[in-house]
Amino acid sequence: MPIDRKAYNAEGIWDELVAPNGRARAGAGGLFRVLGRLSGERLAARQAAADLAIRTMGITFSVYHDQTKGAIDREWPFDIVPRLIRKREWDEVSRGLAQRVRALNLFIDDVYHRQRALDDGVVPRDYILQSREFRPECVGVDIPHGVWSHVCGSDLVRDERGVLYVLEDNLRVPSGVSYMLENRAVMKRVFPELFRHYAIHPVDDYPRELRNCLASLSPRDTERPKIVVLTPGIYNSAYFEHSYLAQLMGAELVEGSDLVVDRDDYVYMRTIEGLVRVDVIYRRIDDLFLDPDTFQPESLLGAPGLMRAWRSGKVALANAPGCGVADDKVIYSYVPDLIRYYLAEEPVLPNVPTYRCVEKASRDYVLDHLEQLVVKPANESGGYGMLIGPHSTRRERETFRRRIRANPRNYIGQPFLTLSSAPTFVKGRLEPRHLDLRPFILSGERTYITMGGLTRVALRKGSMVVNSSQGGGSKDTWVVDN
Amino acid sequence: MKLQTLSRVAERIYWMGRYIERAESTARLIAVHADLLMDLPVRRALDWRVLMDITGSSALFATLHDDTTERNVVRYLASDARNPASILSSIANAMENMRTVRDTMPRVTFEYVNDLHLFARSGLQGPLSRSRRVEVLEGIARRVQQLEGFLSSNMTHDHKWQFLRLGNHIERADMTTRIIDVRSGAGSADEPFEPIQWRGVLRSLYALQSYQAIMQAPVEGPAVLEFLFQYEDQPRSYASCLNSLMFGLRRLPRSGPPLGVCNAMIRHVQEADVRDLEGAGLHEFVDGCQVQLGDLHDAIASTYFHYVPRVPARARRKEAKGQ
Repeated sequence: MPIDRKAYNAEGIWDELVAPNGRARAGAGGLFRVLGRLSGERLAARQAAADLAIRTMGITFSVYHDQTKGAIDREWPFDIVPRLIRKREWDEVSRGLAQRVRALNLFIDDVYHRQRALDDGVVPRDYILQSREFRPECVGVDIPHGVWSHVCGSDLVRDERGVLYVLEDNLRVPSGVSYMLENRAVMKRVFPELFRHYAIHPVDDYPRELRNCLASLSPRDTERPKIVVLTPGIYNSAYFEHSYLAQLMGAELVEGSDLVVDRDDYVYMRTIEGLVRVDVIYRRIDDLFLDPDTFQPESLLGAPGLMRAWRSGKVALANAPGCGVADDKVIYSYVPDLIRYYLAEEPVLPNVPTYRCVEKASRDYVLDHLEQLVVKPANESGGYGMLIGPHSTRRERETFRRRIRANPRNYIGQPFLTLSSAPTFVKGRLEPRHLDLRPFILSGERTYITMGGLTRVALRKGSMVVNSSQGGGSKDTWVVDN
Repeated sequence: MKLQTLSRVAERIYWMGRYIERAESTARLIAVHADLLMDLPVRRALDWRVLMDITGSSALFATLHDDTTERNVVRYLASDARNPASILSSIANAMENMRTVRDTMPRVTFEYVNDLHLFARSGLQGPLSRSRRVEVLEGIARRVQQLEGFLSSNMTHDHKWQFLRLGNHIERADMTTRIIDVRSGAGSADEPFEPIQWRGVLRSLYALQSYQAIMQAPVEGPAVLEFLFQYEDQPRSYASCLNSLMFGLRRLPRSGPPLGVCNAMIRHVQEADVRDLEGAGLHEFVDGCQVQLGDLHDAIASTYFHYVPRVPARARRKEAKGQ
């Protein structure tokens, strides 16, 4: 099914594959030729095959269901039209991501040690000390390579002029990488002929790279350190991913109750052979649930004593506790400054302009322009708790006005970006849908960046919300040679 | 270093093995019993209540139903969610255990268990005519066998596999003794129908054909008891289940305590004069077997699932003082 130039309306939007004149953008020609040869019905058959593959491969995510008060498994919504990125552009993006994450890790290490950047006034001290994610328990802890956020997922968006921005850096426990891997597997199954037209860079080395990254954190000098993935359990929305990564890395998937911290401060897991020492924990639970002895005493998800073991260097935690201090939308606005401060380099990737409501002038601007801006709480993820100005009601704006005045430190404002789009197969037609991109950056002994990442797409027409919990789907992302 | 088996995972796989086995044997039990009743005169003492005795659910059943009618009993055993041992409950429990250890088993396993669950749920819901019942129960048994066959030829025969089999065999041993036990309750009025009933027992255990080939004797109590208790080569015989448990335990680390229990059980059954057992004596013997199965379960659980990792220093001192 050729893309219908008249009906494909991406006006005022930057489309990733279709140029304003309706032709394929550079590199997308081969894809268009293959799509053009398939009838709508045959394309629908491919989509059905992809959906079936996802069902039988058991690729799901869980959503909390209000009526049943429990989690339900949903199949992962997938669109069969891939998103293309040229290798030359990707190399530049990778350089920018590596630069950002390096600066962010230096910053976190600094915050918990000498606080140079705070002394020098790069970031106001109060913003850090008032951050919900600042953990006094982490002060003075020396960790391998000085790296705190070992797995980072940064969200990239492109505006209507085609400029690529970093929207946020998820430094705590970002998820989605398993879907990146599975999307490629599904695509190979249902669209094998496309792979003949392109030199597509593979993505499947991620589990091995993750394992190497985690192994480089091991406190024990051994050939094969014991690595485990700590999951909150099957009712977590990302359980599929936890289990999937554990399997691909050859690591045990453990729950908090499987771990014991002994009086020697080492961490062990309970196995049928007895207690086995654990070197590295890839934890997929939030800081506050890690250790009931240190944080929330009623939490059953972690293991008592885990923080003690980590502080004494007898186990590595990835990501390190307290790394969320830099995963705050107010701190985000300082990243370009941090890059200049720690690395003496200019940022490769721009930030989205950000107004900090904690500063009076910016706050006044935000309050005066609520209708045009996006207002975000400093510390939420998953697209929750946001005000999208252009789509908001007067009532919602009033609510946010009150919230911002009551707690200005907790809010930022950003211009409303019209996210770029790409052709998406909806109801038998190819239509533009908005999307973003989440690459993953691994930092340990060395840095690794995924080839592309997870493209999330808002399946509802005109919607910019790409979160899977709110009607988003995904696409395979191809980094292709020019 | 290979992947270690977590205690929690071992426990869930073990229970998955038990629940799957329980679902199959219960399905088989209902089917064979219904078949057997057709060979008996109407209104015989041996009615549907027997199945309540076999499955040890008389007390719970009594709180839910007034009569042990065919309809009530079949519903209770097959699909009643209030009965934790019903076929549907067992399959749902197997599913739940499977879900939490899914990543440790071959990927396709989930599809088999899921298919079994969907089939049982749709098949057992709503009114169940006699003819359809046979079809559904056999369908369940066949799907369980398919799953076990798939696992047997595709799952690595590692520690996790051993736990699955321990679950299967302990449940199988339990069901075999329960089915035999029913015969201990039969009174003299049953005498003319004894052979029919013993045949029913053998058929519930897929053992009638091989009994005839191996024992080359008419179907009579003493020979059947010897066959079902002591004949090691018959897969559902008590002795065979115990042997499988023993071989499984030998493949596991630290298996001293449960292995000790298991070996004592094997000696116990092989040394008994099972041919002479009948009535109260038979019942008592079966009771003893079931107590031992409970002990074996406890030994497995305390060795592998719930063992206390280390004795804290204080408790050690206390122990030392006490001695």
